[in-house]
Amino acid sequence: MRKLLAATLGVLSAIGGFVDIGDLVAASQAGARFGMAHAWVLVVGVLGICAYAEMAGRIAAVSGRAVFDLVRERLGPRVALLNLVASYLVTVVTLAAELGGVALALQLATGLSYLLWVPVAAVAVWLVLWRMRFALMERVFGLAGLALLVFAVALFALPTDWVRLGHEALYVSSAGAGWSVYWFVAVALFASTVSPYEVFFFSSGGVEEKWTAADLADARSSVLIGFPVGGFLALSLLAVAAVAYHPSGTALNSLDQVARPVATALGGAGLAVAVLAFFAVTFGAALETGLSAAYAVAQYFGWQWGKRVTPREAARFHTVLLVSVLLGVLMLLTTIDPVQLTEYMLVLSAVVLPLTYLPILVVANDRNYLGDRVNGRWINLLGAVFLLLIVAASVAAIPLAIITRMGQ
Amino acid sequence: MRLQLAKQLLDRQIVDRDGRLVGRVDDIAFAIDAEGVPYVDCLLSGHGVLGQRIGGRIGRFLVSIAERFAEEVPVPPRRIPLAQVAEVDSAVRLRCRAADLPPSPTESWLRRHMIDRIPGADHARR
Repeated sequence: MRKLLAATLGVLSAIGGFVDIGDLVAASQAGARFGMAHAWVLVVGVLGICAYAEMAGRIAAVSGRAVFDLVRERLGPRVALLNLVASYLVTVVTLAAELGGVALALQLATGLSYLLWVPVAAVAVWLVLWRMRFALMERVFGLAGLALLVFAVALFALPTDWVRLGHEALYVSSAGAGWSVYWFVAVALFASTVSPYEVFFFSSGGVEEKWTAADLADARSSVLIGFPVGGFLALSLLAVAAVAYHPSGTALNSLDQVARPVATALGGAGLAVAVLAFFAVTFGAALETGLSAAYAVAQYFGWQWGKRVTPREAARFHTVLLVSVLLGVLMLLTTIDPVQLTEYMLVLSAVVLPLTYLPILVVANDRNYLGDRVNGRWINLLGAVFLLLIVAASVAAIPLAIITRMGQ
Repeated sequence: MRLQLAKQLLDRQIVDRDGRLVGRVDDIAFAIDAEGVPYVDCLLSGHGVLGQRIGGRIGRFLVSIAERFAEEVPVPPRRIPLAQVAEVDSAVRLRCRAADLPPSPTESWLRRHMIDRIPGADHARR
């Protein structure tokens, strides 16, 4: 029974780790503009992140080391430093976007401007990082994030034409907006599904929770259940936006519009649940991105990291954590629209994706670290195909952003 | 002990007897014995040392960070005598505890000037 409970909680944390401000924005915008035409991107993204999270979890469990802990000894200090700088910057921009999401959720709940909520959200995030137990933190926000299921429920209350949704998903068309915009949105949605911090966090979290080879089955089931459930939640966001906005061709550019169809379908209670879900997933992701940024720096330099030791024993780690949260706040206080910040963040994430995923594939094939638990043939094939997609998305991201003027 | 220094020692994580993370092998110091034969004397750790090893503008930047957050300049590298190394596998494992080694200057500086001033800095969460 206890084991079952532990497994359930692992699944919850995987779900919590999956959905964030990127999915809220990218999935809803894709749905509003192109109907279900991007559903396949979510399916492919979930498949890929499952494969890579499984590798990252296996590396953590067998070698007791987080993946990015191993990057420097494999790539040398210079290349690894370049990787660190790029990953750190993108993770901090993501942290800023998540904090903006928390503030927007609070604005929806209270009517007060999100800018007032930014400092409050940042202090709250930092306090949780400073005081809360790691496992508790993961589970609370994972569980609360399940409130996003309200979007799936709303689909049944809305005048959903299921046949049409299915048709849109299977017979992909650019809905008159042009294929370059279609592919730009696809790249952003893909980046939101496979955000680099998810694997940073997953593998460092495994080390924090002291996984061993005996925990491999649990880790695997968390991945194989949790990420698809997360993908399902993102798919319901996409579908709700497709039903509510696609037919009329309304542009979607605020979080408030994401929630509105739920309010229409289920009334005030539905809206409350949706806002709670927004708060939970963005707050949870803010915690994860903050930690991931600090993990990456600490692991490069070999500092003591993690929440197992007291903050004073990991002073450098906690300093980086604090500085990262402050950087996020500064970015938001330029009054950049958090939804726009999210769009830029997704393009940047897409560009740096190979820096995260290539090292995982390399280490997962290294017998020095994994012994006979290295990748088998099929997972290598899946990993390699997925890596090609990642490289394609990474190369295409900036040109598409320029050609389409960020998808205008 | 037979080791390929660059491949198996440089850049490895250093872990103490209790699993605490000590730092990385940022450089290696050699010494010369009475017969003029060089041998590995110490492992060096600290981002100042790493900066000197990387060199160039980035290296100088790392050194300047190390000097900014330290009580004394120039910052001496942390030296870990080879005799303290018990085993080298996916990490360099030491015989001693991290507390028995000279502390990291940056860690001590940040602890004293920043983290210790925040309430709750010595609560373990688990």
